[in-house]
Amino acid sequence: MEILHKIEEIRLRHSRPLIVYWAGGEAFLGKKGPVLTTGEAYHVFGEDLEKTLELISSYSLYAFEEELKQGYLTLPGGHRVGLAGRAVLEKGRIKILRDINSLNFRVARQIKGVGERVLGFLFDRQTWRIYHTLIISPPQGGKTTLLRDLARLISDGAGIMGQSGQKVGIIDERSEIAGCFQGIPQLDIGMRTDVLDACPKAEGIMLMLRSLSPQVIITDEIGRAEDVQAIAEAVSAGVSVIASAHGSSLEEICQRPVLGELLQENVFERLIFLNNNKGPGTLEMIIEGEKGLPLYSARYGGEERAK
Amino acid sequence: MICLKCLGAALIITAAYVYGNGISFYYRQRVQQLEELLIGLELFYTEVSYGLTPLPRAFMNIGARLKEPVGAIFCDAAREMQKNRGLSARECWQNALKNSAALLSLSPGGSQLLERLGLAWGKGDKNDQLRQVKLIKELLRQAHREAQAELQKNDKVWKYLGLLGGITLVIFLL
Repeated sequence: MEILHKIEEIRLRHSRPLIVYWAGGEAFLGKKGPVLTTGEAYHVFGEDLEKTLELISSYSLYAFEEELKQGYLTLPGGHRVGLAGRAVLEKGRIKILRDINSLNFRVARQIKGVGERVLGFLFDRQTWRIYHTLIISPPQGGKTTLLRDLARLISDGAGIMGQSGQKVGIIDERSEIAGCFQGIPQLDIGMRTDVLDACPKAEGIMLMLRSLSPQVIITDEIGRAEDVQAIAEAVSAGVSVIASAHGSSLEEICQRPVLGELLQENVFERLIFLNNNKGPGTLEMIIEGEKGLPLYSARYGGEERAK
Repeated sequence: MICLKCLGAALIITAAYVYGNGISFYYRQRVQQLEELLIGLELFYTEVSYGLTPLPRAFMNIGARLKEPVGAIFCDAAREMQKNRGLSARECWQNALKNSAALLSLSPGGSQLLERLGLAWGKGDKNDQLRQVKLIKELLRQAHREAQAELQKNDKVWKYLGLLGGITLVIFLL
């Protein structure tokens, strides 16, 4: 039961044992619970995978072609199932995944309050404008969790923001931030938040600007050239942008072709670095974008050096 | 005494006529049920190719538009799926077939096709799904043609055979 509450991933791989993962641990699963050896573990076979796929797709795989192309399905509750199999290509791009041989259930768990500590650094206390912010961390570093909580806090206007919430637009290309199932957000993203689910970021930002008049746009994993153009458009329209990107250090990010360009132009006024040192979402550093001054650093015992 | 004999004769002739008509009705039912199944598969084709409707909802829509007992098979299968008991689409379809088995007038070949249909539901992408259903539709169309031929051959035969059999029996008994 203890494990049940902290499980982050459930892995089903063809002809291999059923494994559950949590932060810093894993366990093989037998028919009655965790077991110690692979021999005792339940081994997953084609029939299990086939039936699981039928159940998670409501017996309608044909209705999830786009998701199969992207390699994931979203379940009620915002949980996601990553898929691996044989990719069928058309004109060099993935047309669909077939012969699924591996499923990864990622349990969506909203951690409310993770953004409170950070939010104080992210807005101008005179004008209440949210700074353009980039959140950087390695995979599974807690970027999406932080983005989701920032959306909720900014939108609801609770706590440090006072009572005046702002209109937030989320462009959720991989349905990770709001965990939409059939278009309806399954996680709390705030009362003034609109979500464009499964929408490409660049198109989504433009659509959001044209029709939903957001004050803050939130999106994840930017990195393509068209994303940069759309972000520049949003910034020039006076809309605050909070985005995330994979990375482990400022130097590494600066060397990346698209992100480096954005940083050189000082588009982002705040850079937040997260890591996995003390579990996902550990706050490492907050940097003031233009001057490169650290506003917060865990190296100094979490001392806030400036605000 | 004569009255009793006449009454008995009338009963025998009526019973034989009803029996003959019953068999003839069975052949008519078979044709009608196969027609309903073909319409069902045509509706499924539309639901999937234009609406990408999820299978349980598509089955409910189809079931509501078909006559009994074929409509009930689709509705029952949809209900089984919506119960979320962890059954596969094939198992849900089989359970629905069992519920309506007594009301179906299909030949063994037709029943096998219906069971085979269970293997096709919810499998693969849109093209795969439609291809599999199309294949079974072709086989059902063939079964429909055969059922129609049998109906033409047997319909009148059984009706007259029942009546004439009854009359013959009465003559023998008298």
